[in-house]
Amino acid sequence: MLISEKLPSRFDAVAQFVTGVIDKLKPLGLSMEELFDVKLCLDEALINAVKHGNKFSPELQIEARIEVSAGILTIEVKDQGEGYDFTKIPNPTEEDNLHRNSGRGVFLIKKHMDKVQHFDCGRIIKMIKFVKTPGLKG
Amino acid sequence: MICFVEGEININNSPELRKAFDGLITKGEKKVIVDFSAVSYIDSSGLATLIEMFQRLKQKGGKLRFTNMDQKIRNVFEITKLHKLFEIFDTQEAALNDF
Repeated sequence: MLISEKLPSRFDAVAQFVTGVIDKLKPLGLSMEELFDVKLCLDEALINAVKHGNKFSPELQIEARIEVSAGILTIEVKDQGEGYDFTKIPNPTEEDNLHRNSGRGVFLIKKHMDKVQHFDCGRIIKMIKFVKTPGLKG
Repeated sequence: MICFVEGEININNSPELRKAFDGLITKGEKKVIVDFSAVSYIDSSGLATLIEMFQRLKQKGGKLRFTNMDQKIRNVFEITKLHKLFEIFDTQEAALNDF
């Protein structure tokens, strides 16, 4: 299964898209826990793309691609922003950072996905999760 | 004061949660329990809103407690180590007894 879409840089568009993706994934037989993880990571990646990547610019779009094959779910989110140094994200679990009200998105993605990669100066995040897909045909 | 939150705590409805909490602060509530038994999902924006609530209540000399989280929601708090910041209880009774 392949879902590919371009989204405007708005939170409401993200919410609608994510709901649609989860609805399409449910019949494939992923567990409730797997669906939670996928929803969370897709949400976090898209929210980051809107807020930090494209900075809510109505002129910039986000590309989202979700592919599911037997046992592997791959998510790729791409923004059109200036990029960032993804190696310099502070650890939100350190004592000094616990009270901060931001900075947990990428951390949550890394903890809920099996593999996470960054490309194009941080404009692209690719996430892979090994899932059960008993309902996937072909 | 025991508050019940239902559904998702995410970037789109966090403002609504914040506004409801503002109402409690204005009324002078100092002991607030948030019951998570009907919460199905939380993202980092939701966590941020809860941190803000915690800090605002603390500034007023109040205390915030969370109860009845399902394991998936609890995992999000534990993974982010926010279970060290927040007081999380299995039941409302345990949270009330702790005040």
